[in-house]
Amino acid sequence: METLIKTKRVALLKEKMMAEPRYVSIEQALIITKTYEENQEKPVIIKRALALKNALLQMGIAVEPEEKIVGNRTIGVRHGVVFPESGSSWIDREFETLPIRPQDKFNVREEDIINFKKIIAPYFKEKSLEDIIRTRYGTEIDEIAKVVKINQKDHAQGHICPDCEKWLTYGPEGLKQEAIAKLQSGTKDQQDFYKSVILVMEGTQAFMMRYHDLLVEKAGQETDAANQVNMREVAVICKKLCMNPPNSFHEAVQSIWFLFVILHMESNASSFSPGRMDDFLYPFYKKDMKSGSIDKQKALEIIECIWLKFNQIVYLRNSHSAKFFAGFPIGFNIAIGGQDENGNDFSNELSFLFLKAQEHLGLPQPNLSVRLHKGTNEPLLKEAVRVVAKGSGMPQFFNDEAIISSMMNFGVSEKDARDYAIVGCVELTSQGNNLGWSDAAMFNLNKVLELTLNNGKCLLTGNAIGPDLGNLMDYKTFEELEDAFAKNISYFIDKMILACEQVEKAHIDILPSPFLSAVIDNCIQKGKDVTVGGAVYNFSGIQMIQVANLADSLAAIKLLVYEEKRISKEELLKALQNNFEGYEIIRTMLLKRAPKYGNDVAYVDELGAKWARFFSEKLSHYTNYRGGRYHTGMYTVSAHVPMGENVGASSDGRYAATPLADGGMSPVYGRDIAGPTAVLKSVSLLDNHLTTNGGLLNMKFLPEFFKTENNIDKFAKFLRTFVDLEIPHIQFNVLRKEDLLAAQKDPEKYRSLTVRVAGYTAYFTELAGELQNEIIARTSYGDL
Amino acid sequence: MNTHEKLRGKVFDVRRFSTHDGGGIRTTIFLKGCPLRCVWCQNPEGLSLKSQLIYLENQCIHCGRCTTVCKNHAITLQEGKLCIDKGAADDWEEAIDSCPAACLTMDSKSYTVEELVKLTVRDAAFFRHGGGITLSGGEPLFQKDFAIALLKAFKEEGIHTAIETSCYVEQNVVKDALLYLDLIYVDFKVFDKNKHKEWIGFTNDKIKENIRFILESNKKDQVIIRTPLIPTMTADKENISAIGKFITSIYPEVKYELLNYNPLAKAKYNLVEREYCFAENPRMYTEDEMNEFRQAARNVGVKHLIIEV
Ligand code: SF4
Ligand code: SF4
Repeated sequence: METLIKTKRVALLKEKMMAEPRYVSIEQALIITKTYEENQEKPVIIKRALALKNALLQMGIAVEPEEKIVGNRTIGVRHGVVFPESGSSWIDREFETLPIRPQDKFNVREEDIINFKKIIAPYFKEKSLEDIIRTRYGTEIDEIAKVVKINQKDHAQGHICPDCEKWLTYGPEGLKQEAIAKLQSGTKDQQDFYKSVILVMEGTQAFMMRYHDLLVEKAGQETDAANQVNMREVAVICKKLCMNPPNSFHEAVQSIWFLFVILHMESNASSFSPGRMDDFLYPFYKKDMKSGSIDKQKALEIIECIWLKFNQIVYLRNSHSAKFFAGFPIGFNIAIGGQDENGNDFSNELSFLFLKAQEHLGLPQPNLSVRLHKGTNEPLLKEAVRVVAKGSGMPQFFNDEAIISSMMNFGVSEKDARDYAIVGCVELTSQGNNLGWSDAAMFNLNKVLELTLNNGKCLLTGNAIGPDLGNLMDYKTFEELEDAFAKNISYFIDKMILACEQVEKAHIDILPSPFLSAVIDNCIQKGKDVTVGGAVYNFSGIQMIQVANLADSLAAIKLLVYEEKRISKEELLKALQNNFEGYEIIRTMLLKRAPKYGNDVAYVDELGAKWARFFSEKLSHYTNYRGGRYHTGMYTVSAHVPMGENVGASSDGRYAATPLADGGMSPVYGRDIAGPTAVLKSVSLLDNHLTTNGGLLNMKFLPEFFKTENNIDKFAKFLRTFVDLEIPHIQFNVLRKEDLLAAQKDPEKYRSLTVRVAGYTAYFTELAGELQNEIIARTSYGDL
Repeated sequence: MNTHEKLRGKVFDVRRFSTHDGGGIRTTIFLKGCPLRCVWCQNPEGLSLKSQLIYLENQCIHCGRCTTVCKNHAITLQEGKLCIDKGAADDWEEAIDSCPAACLTMDSKSYTVEELVKLTVRDAAFFRHGGGITLSGGEPLFQKDFAIALLKAFKEEGIHTAIETSCYVEQNVVKDALLYLDLIYVDFKVFDKNKHKEWIGFTNDKIKENIRFILESNKKDQVIIRTPLIPTMTADKENISAIGKFITSIYPEVKYELLNYNPLAKAKYNLVEREYCFAENPRMYTEDEMNEFRQAARNVGVKHLIIEV
């Protein structure tokens, strides 16, 4: 097999990128403010279009002489963009603290703070999405905040797969013409919509042309001949793309990157995802390979150049949100492999090149996902496992066998379901026609159980935040407790839905998105923006937080209190109220004498599945503001930490305010002690319709598990079974030295960690210190 | 059909997701009891057939509950430390039940064949991709009737079966077991009779005879002979050459594997309160050293060395 290398160009570009400091940028915010001031009377959608167009015309741009793919939304890379239409009050409050906050820091320029406070903040006060929602519905949202986190309150929605194929076919000129053709007919709203599409496409063309001009200018000043050639080449591509769709692979990749830059400039939101890039780029690749104008190495270099680009857009969140979504996840999710439209196995050379790029760069973006199914070819599966073994935690795996049919049951057409992709982290979507609103809210089931056990009162503050249906001592049977729990869940679902509707309504009023709408079916056809329901599919996703803790808590209560009566109701309630202080024996029993989710024990697994089902069923009776359905997901990014902060001591033996289980379908850390096969068996009990919005299973392994080809083969088999068991998602965390050091300090959390030496498996935390040290010494996975 | 209804076996571990000792993902069942006493034994808890109480001290919260319920007064708390007189009682049930931390347990459980099959087929979905079950121990054929009934039951379920045996059993046991085995790992540790007696407690005539029997059987291609490399003892080129000569003389196409020294075993000896053969734990062999050992086997005509890559 030929060896494909990471070229000097790519290495150099990566180095330059990593060296760039991260700043907050208010450049676009100033342009937006000025545009809004000058166009006060115009409809919002036109104001938004003009603001984007002006930004495309006026924002500073820059290129690197070595870049094969150019374009960014700010002049510097990895800048956090202030976006006043969605949220400026929080920035007003937090601007000074951005460089020193604990999570996701940004540098700040003094004069930016001054200009922001003088020009931007006053204009958008009471006009931004954030302020409008706060005024209209803030109190109600706050009242349920400990149970439900309502999202998208201060930024645009994002979380969408644009129709890349359409973009590649038509380009900005084609889309503009489509809108022009429609302009004459229709209502006033429709006409405004088409006008706004025309405006943003004009801006897009100008933006591309500006890159052409800049590259030509810079090429003139460049001393290095190779760089000169490169810049001229890229300049020609930019110019061509203004008026024409791409022909070559290089042009197509550049075109895709422009698309995503501009989507981000319009929305400043997380998770615009390219989707099945090995599918829609393949015709270009194939043609160029056939004509001989590129070879694999050249193609890989272009891919790695856009891979770097995916890391240049980061997302500025408020400090609260940054806790939930730590580490700037921006969600350029790329799905490779899977079934084609006829259900046959799909993959091609690009799929492998994408894996290679991930292996070479090991960067957090793009979020690379491999779709698996029963017919997945062995080489792709093995190659994917080899890349996982490198330790970046990627790619993650999705299961067509679990996902396609459940999407269809949920109302997605067979063709679209077979062509599904992923947005952001693990959210499932059809491509190019689906505003999934996958991150509408997170619902903390554990908090509801807490309120059910304690008269509707928060264990942390004593405040009444839910209805008083009694407390643990009042429930004579476990069934009575379950009845009260069900009532409480329903109560909070009602409140959550009302809040979600307010948020959606505010998005319609404040953040119509014509550029995005132009690449989402059927917006242009209907003359309707995505925010008002222009997309073919209009879902809303609610995350259930966290079923693992819930199952463990309920199982402990059922078994130890109601069945074996090892613990009295009074004792348990007191123990929870006192955060187990003085109740160490009770806590130990809860932890050690009750079965835990993730060990293939039906008693507990079924309790989890039952309540997830209950929740999802309740939710299915509601319709969202765009007329679409609600569905559930089981995943968190880092939200299990702040969501845990809201929950008092729980009956699974967890202390107050400590994190909940990570992932979404994963067991609580360290409680899965029957091995990885048992985890899959437990997870497989959760019906697939519970995770049509996305599910996340996270498993941790030591790097040595991947060291030999023999074990790579075993992992491939493990994944084949994962496919058979119809689990929607899995990702592997390959542990590093630091993790093992942490395990030595905090063995409880790492109880499930096993190690192997010469044909022998043991639990890491049960090994003697010297042996642990030996294993740590062997685990030398440095930075990639 | 339940001829072995009352047959019960003692099992000291059932480990899922075994990725060695056979193809695919496996469940390894560790049967208790072994007639031999290798000084380096990796599973010292599996040697005696007698069930023992195990106390996991690092999980204990020293609540004292077990001391009050134990009828035999065999458990006491002295200066914050739990003292257990393991000889004083046979029935620990109440103490075990009383412990909130589940840190008192028996070192083995007794199962019927049906129970064990039921427990194991939970991973049938994994076995379908080339996996199966492996019987290990102790010496899995020591509980011979149970082991054979178990293997038969797995074959009836269509599950791939493997065994790790020392072959220190009667030949008819080996013969019966072979009927239901798809893969057979046989340990051949020491060739020299006297050294074998010194380190393992018995001479190796029986083992040699059984190896001959297996390598002459129709399952000879499903056999892997293995030598665990124990520094200063089995890890000796002369020993390896002698073993290699012996097995190739019976069957020239025999498969042979050398297992690197496993330093993890030592930690287990604290739990069972026994002395390990090395006070100072030796390190594992490097790949170069392993290759030298392998060369010794090749030099005497071993053609099929199993090397994990
Ligand atoms: S009951 Fe368990 S935790 Fe308590 S002292 Fe006895 S062994 Fe330790
Ligand atoms: S034959 Fe195996 S189980 Fe028996 S003593 Fe030797 S090493 Fe231990």
